[in-house]
Amino acid sequence: MSLAVTSNRYGRFFDRARGAVASNRSLLFGTLIVGTMVLVGLLGPLLWSGDPLALGSGRFLPPSLTYPMGTDDLGRDVFARVILGARISLVVGGLSAIISIVVGCAVGATAGYFGGLLDEIVMRVVEIFQIIPRFLFAIVIVALFGTGLVKIVLVIGLLSWPPVARIVRAQFMVLRSEEFVLAAKMSGASTVRIIVRHILPNVGPIILVSAFLQMSSAILVESFLSFLGLGDPAAPSWGLLLQQAQLYLRSAWWMTVFPGLALFLTIFGLNLFGDGLNSGESAERGV
Amino acid sequence: MLGSLLKFSLGRIVLSIPLLLSVIVITFLLIHAAPGDPAVLLAGDAPAPEFLAQIRYAYNLDKPVWQQLLIYIIKAAQLDFGSSIYFKRPVIDVIVERLPATLLLSGTAMVLASVLGVALGAWAAQRKGSGTDSIVSGASLLGYSIPTFWLGQLLVLLFAVYLPLLPASGMTEVRLRYTGFAHFVDVARHLILPACTLAVFELALIARFTRTAMIDALGRDYIVVAFAKGGRKRHVVWRHAFPNAVIVSITIIGLEFGALLAGAVVTETVFSWPGIGRLFYDAVFRRDFTLLSGLFIFASLAVILVNLVTDILCSLLDPRIVR
Repeated sequence: MSLAVTSNRYGRFFDRARGAVASNRSLLFGTLIVGTMVLVGLLGPLLWSGDPLALGSGRFLPPSLTYPMGTDDLGRDVFARVILGARISLVVGGLSAIISIVVGCAVGATAGYFGGLLDEIVMRVVEIFQIIPRFLFAIVIVALFGTGLVKIVLVIGLLSWPPVARIVRAQFMVLRSEEFVLAAKMSGASTVRIIVRHILPNVGPIILVSAFLQMSSAILVESFLSFLGLGDPAAPSWGLLLQQAQLYLRSAWWMTVFPGLALFLTIFGLNLFGDGLNSGESAERGV
Repeated sequence: MLGSLLKFSLGRIVLSIPLLLSVIVITFLLIHAAPGDPAVLLAGDAPAPEFLAQIRYAYNLDKPVWQQLLIYIIKAAQLDFGSSIYFKRPVIDVIVERLPATLLLSGTAMVLASVLGVALGAWAAQRKGSGTDSIVSGASLLGYSIPTFWLGQLLVLLFAVYLPLLPASGMTEVRLRYTGFAHFVDVARHLILPACTLAVFELALIARFTRTAMIDALGRDYIVVAFAKGGRKRHVVWRHAFPNAVIVSITIIGLEFGALLAGAVVTETVFSWPGIGRLFYDAVFRRDFTLLSGLFIFASLAVILVNLVTDILCSLLDPRIVR
């Protein structure tokens, strides 16, 4: 059962031009949002003098000039915590995405290039991974093995590679019989060299698109886990802030609205960016 | 035709057996690979030595691992996941008890998302490039970027805290104990916010994929032919293009059913909805690992079944799939 989502075939010039502008706009806004978040994550404490951990003077203070996003149940500065959360969410998302991309590429490239029995086995494994409810699986693993940033990154990364493997495999199956591969073979290039230096660069753009989508989904899964109290308690990610906010929904709206907005904007920016890169191209996607 | 369909369905059912088996094996291996003694895991915190011995015996932990695995598979195949540590009752009984609430919530959300998503997607596709199309596309991108649990919190803030129109949690008004029609209204009022929360992600996804599929279908040669033969626009769009596009929508509904369950866990947590999702959350914190593993296998079974149904549904709609 394959799900090919192909772009339209109206190849008219006007439509294309319009599409390019629209895609540039998505790219532009996506870049702006993601860039801002990355800057916030990188600069972190330099941006705001507030201490995310210090117990302040008052609990549940509404947003003001001193505390732009108010204070939480322990009197901590929510703005400072949202800034710290950017770093945690982006690092977890980025590292998980890297793991899933590397594993997905390795698996997909091997299966697609060699084909045959190996491909058959790999695809069965991919099928199993795709049918298992990924997020519930992550909960079970974290509940059994305990939490921590490293474990969460590993779990998310190692559960997310199948869609990447599928895409890369499909590309390799087409590309392996192209003439440039044949030429490389004739000139005596090794199999590894052909896969890594000749075929993989052609798959680059598609991998890039899926890297951004992987990152957005990794940040989402991390926030789900943290929201359920399975995140690293020592690392206040946005999901953890929202978990704490749940208890005080009636008394402190700012504890919910601001961390959630940061999380939502980051995911939205990443999706927008991936979409912008993707538009105009047909792509098989595992969202 | 019917024969080949039957053969196709049987084939799909046979193919899903190894999938289910792998889920059971993976769950078993996870419990055994987890740090610490599985007997202690299953017995809960600080068990008495006699109780540990009892657990070892009851769960066959005194037997070789391969025998344990075999017993686990045979029992799981009969939906026997052992006894819940917290509830002290068979896991499957606890699950069945909570099932109706989750079916009501996720069923409502699914119907809402499917009907609206397909309609919006198909509608936008016909106006490709127009203002309405951009609005639908933009909204669906927003919709699937919004974390489900945050959306739930926002809806509670808006419609339960600032405009006290709807209840913020639970499935019924515990103190009032309505019966008959009043009970129905009470549950419906409690259902609105969580169902909308859960529906948004799926709705956005279905709308996006339906739109793309519909645009693709409208660009095919058979559409040109249908128009050339003098077909009316409405007829061509809904009789020729739409059935081809809706297959993609149905496939997406199946593929994303796991995501719906994930959404149900957080939605039921936000709204204290007494279903399977909330049970999953509670099982984690009560360290009720028999219940947790039972729920996980049960959820995987549900995903496999839903995909089976959507596969067969697609083959009914498009005989080319059966071959």
